[in-house]
Amino acid sequence: MRAGAGPGTRAIRSIGPYTVVTRLDTRVPAHTPVSEHRFIARSADGDRTVLLSTPLATLDPQRFMAEADASRYLLGSWVLPATELAAPGDQPWHARPYVPSLPLPVALALHGGPLPGHTVRAIAVALAENLALMHGQGLTHAGLCPSAVLVAADGPRLTCFGAARAATPDGVPRREVPGLDPGSLPPEQAEGGRPRPLGDVHALGATLAYAATGYTMPEREELPPELRSLIARCLSRDPARRPQLSELVQELTGESEPGTSSGFAAPARAGTLLGPGWLPARLIAAIVHQAASVLAAEVWTQQHQGRTAGGTPSLDDVPRRSP
Amino acid sequence: MPTPLTHDDPVALGPYRLIARLGGGGMGTVYVARSSGGRTVAVKTMHAAIATDPAARVRFRLEVDAARVMGGQFGARVMDADPLAETPWLATEYVLGPGLDEAVEAGGPLPERSLRALGAALCSALGQLHRSDVVHRDLKPSNILVTAYGPKVIDFGIARAIGDDRLTRAGSAVGTPAFMSPEQATGQEHDPAGDVFALAGVLVYAATGRAPFGHGRAADLLYRVRYTEADLSGVPAALVPLLARCLAKEPRERPTTAELASHLHAGDGEFADHLPDRLLADIGRLAADVWRLVPQRLPAPSAEGDPSAAAAPLGRRPSRRAFLAAGGALAVTASAGATAWWCQRRVAPAPAAKKAPRQTRNLDPLWRYGEYTDLTMYGWGLTVPYHAYGSVLLPLSGPVKRFDPSTGRPQRDAVISGTWWQMAVRNDRLCSLERDYSGHGQSTAVVTWKDGQRYLEPTSLRFADADSRLQPNQILSVAGDIMYVALGSGKGGSRTGFEPSQVWTLRAGDLRTGRTLWKKSLPKRPAASTRLHFLAAKVVGGRLVTLQEVADRKVHAVVRDAAGGAVLWDTPCDVGDPDSLRSGIAADGRYLYLGGARLRALRLSDGAQAWALEGAEDCSPPTLREGVLYTVRKGAGLTAVDARRGRILWTEATAEADQAYTGWRPAVGTGHAYYRNGMQLRAVSLSGHDTALTYKTAAEQFHVDAQAGLILGVAPDGLSAYPLE
Repeated sequence: MRAGAGPGTRAIRSIGPYTVVTRLDTRVPAHTPVSEHRFIARSADGDRTVLLSTPLATLDPQRFMAEADASRYLLGSWVLPATELAAPGDQPWHARPYVPSLPLPVALALHGGPLPGHTVRAIAVALAENLALMHGQGLTHAGLCPSAVLVAADGPRLTCFGAARAATPDGVPRREVPGLDPGSLPPEQAEGGRPRPLGDVHALGATLAYAATGYTMPEREELPPELRSLIARCLSRDPARRPQLSELVQELTGESEPGTSSGFAAPARAGTLLGPGWLPARLIAAIVHQAASVLAAEVWTQQHQGRTAGGTPSLDDVPRRSP
Repeated sequence: MPTPLTHDDPVALGPYRLIARLGGGGMGTVYVARSSGGRTVAVKTMHAAIATDPAARVRFRLEVDAARVMGGQFGARVMDADPLAETPWLATEYVLGPGLDEAVEAGGPLPERSLRALGAALCSALGQLHRSDVVHRDLKPSNILVTAYGPKVIDFGIARAIGDDRLTRAGSAVGTPAFMSPEQATGQEHDPAGDVFALAGVLVYAATGRAPFGHGRAADLLYRVRYTEADLSGVPAALVPLLARCLAKEPRERPTTAELASHLHAGDGEFADHLPDRLLADIGRLAADVWRLVPQRLPAPSAEGDPSAAAAPLGRRPSRRAFLAAGGALAVTASAGATAWWCQRRVAPAPAAKKAPRQTRNLDPLWRYGEYTDLTMYGWGLTVPYHAYGSVLLPLSGPVKRFDPSTGRPQRDAVISGTWWQMAVRNDRLCSLERDYSGHGQSTAVVTWKDGQRYLEPTSLRFADADSRLQPNQILSVAGDIMYVALGSGKGGSRTGFEPSQVWTLRAGDLRTGRTLWKKSLPKRPAASTRLHFLAAKVVGGRLVTLQEVADRKVHAVVRDAAGGAVLWDTPCDVGDPDSLRSGIAADGRYLYLGGARLRALRLSDGAQAWALEGAEDCSPPTLREGVLYTVRKGAGLTAVDARRGRILWTEATAEADQAYTGWRPAVGTGHAYYRNGMQLRAVSLSGHDTALTYKTAAEQFHVDAQAGLILGVAPDGLSAYPLE
């Protein structure tokens, strides 16, 4: 299980009933850490492909599994709740169906810099609406950071639920905990405070700042003017000065009408911003390329070990093809 | 979208376990499948029953080879294949991209930047193929999958090595009429320039949602591909001249793929940058949806149920990935039903079917076709029906119409087209004169068509220095393997009629060897000529007997040596209406019989008159049957004459002799002789010498279809059929 599982290696890595096809985060830069190991993995019969997560080695596996268990109940279109968990006492992992997607930092790298304003806005509204839904469920995400956001062809997907809670118990400072992005971690949580909804607003602000500039803590002038004051307010040290998510959605969509959604009704503003063209063409192409590579990948489980693995494609080699 | 497997689909093909169906056609099925390593692929199969045909197997193997030549950048990467398996199969990558046809249907025409990028990428794809000496031959929107990284060309089912004619010999050359090149439509060599033609057609489709020659029945399309200009309306203006060049009828005038690519696109940016957002979003959706595919297999249908019922509700349609030749075949099958709207009026059932007191006067024809049709062709007179493929065939402008001889019900049009004077039937197949696309427009080929095929087959016969576009080009006759043709060259192009500057020759060619046996010049024709060179021709006793118009309205009987072409003799035919001579030639080994002012017999050897029927004025051209000549005499009606001696045997008993029409020869069956009298076709009993039956008719010209037992009457407004008894 400790064997490397990156593309190009021949070692077989099995996690639970799954065999790893590739790591998801091989290209995530170091300054945007990921709070868990994420893999694209496949069932032995090849019929199910999943996004599979395991905890960082430094983490308490039980805290990790508790968050995974809680994530099963997440509602909304832009989250990836766990659908399968390791049995108690087994090596910890959880999994959900594979969605072709790129970690946000990888998307920026492939795009060659900050994402366009309309893309940032679409991600912002989708995440804000889904966080609001989550908060309505009485849940705080507590793990939002740039690498926790996966960019799929139809919209973002929020992962790493409960990363801050999993990292340390409340009361223990989280400032130096590996896997947590210091730029996204709300100051009150960094001090060891219990994650609360307004902490998610801070993390959202940091993540949007990253999408728009490449930094979670940019200089104010680096931010696009239309997002400048909003993101600045999200990043307030004092949670009370951060905007409510409904405010945020209103400001981003330009609609004055207050959020009428009550209970768990699915918000729908993001849908209009996520229509064709919401994501730069090259990123769609990269996402489709990932899907094609995973489709074509052959992985050998233990019973195939006598055979030579051939043609496992590297997900790192995104082809660039000019017409 | 994939559909569940059916109960009789195999579990696996080679190492690939089947997951779902992607599509199916007459030739095989395409599946989604997985290797034991979990690789998802598309597996194309050929039905085991079809694979028993060695030619089909060869085709499959060539397809695999061509797909490998194309490679994974411009095509679906070949993962594995077994062309020798009982059910041959080919596994390729599972391509994440819609067919170009689906993309245009879903999102509408593509903008110019997409067209340019797509076109340039397709040029690269074809260039790759052509450099390996392979031509695709069936490029069309459904054979192009648009991925985020560029188009992938699939379906090499009919691709073949340039110059490799194994497949055409095996009778398997096909294509898709809407995107076929003119040379392919006539069964001739389709080289890289033909792929360029098809590529331009694909781009026209992508730009407008329409194929360049429209939609419709295969036969109509093939006709338009050959003779009409492509419809480029709606194509971005900047692309019109370029695409028009690609769609030139003359292959040499089309640009190469490299030239076309350089005109289309500078190669900047990535392919995805040039795609419309909507299309990219669709591609993204495909990439997400494929993961929701769950292996599923339908149960076997219950015993009492219709065995086909289980599959039907699936709405299986021939998918774009059913990239088998069957895709094209389906197009034709579908078009068969489309003839239902055809105008036709069947008036009476076959009289033979009637019992009880049989009506004998003013009967309706057996069947009739056409009320809104003009059977006059370009001023060259009424058309002539033929019989082949068990059908009555009627050449009109456009594809040859086909009719069931017993009911007159229109059948699917023949793929062959042409004018009546450029056609002949040989070995139960129609032949026609066609442009020779390998001859740079200055030679003429003889093509033929086999029933059921979607293309024309070239014969080996080609005539150099003959412009196929000259309308008065003519097939005189076919006797055995020898075809006699009158062909011209020089100015005139596609304009109708003769030009004094044209050079005309009469030639004999061997259809088997392709050799031209002889070539003799024909007299120049004034521009005012309204008749072809030859009104009728027949090979009798080693002589080519012709009725030839040598100067306007001056028709001569000209007899040539069939083997060498030398004129043996030539004598004027003094007839009132030269058009009546189109009814045919009555000749036996001894004499040529002519109507006109006097019925007479000329010795075939030297043209000297053997006998003439004195006192018989204005006789129709005669019909010879078993030593008896039948003619229609003005003022007397049907008259039987001893062919050897020139003596009248009998004349019909009639009171309406003054209405006898002498402008066409009688049709003679075993019991009756038929000719037009007034507005009726009259059947005169050969034994009783009186009128047995009369039929209503408006026809002026009557042709005997001996195989169908019909007299086919041609009028300007329609075709009518009468029983020949």
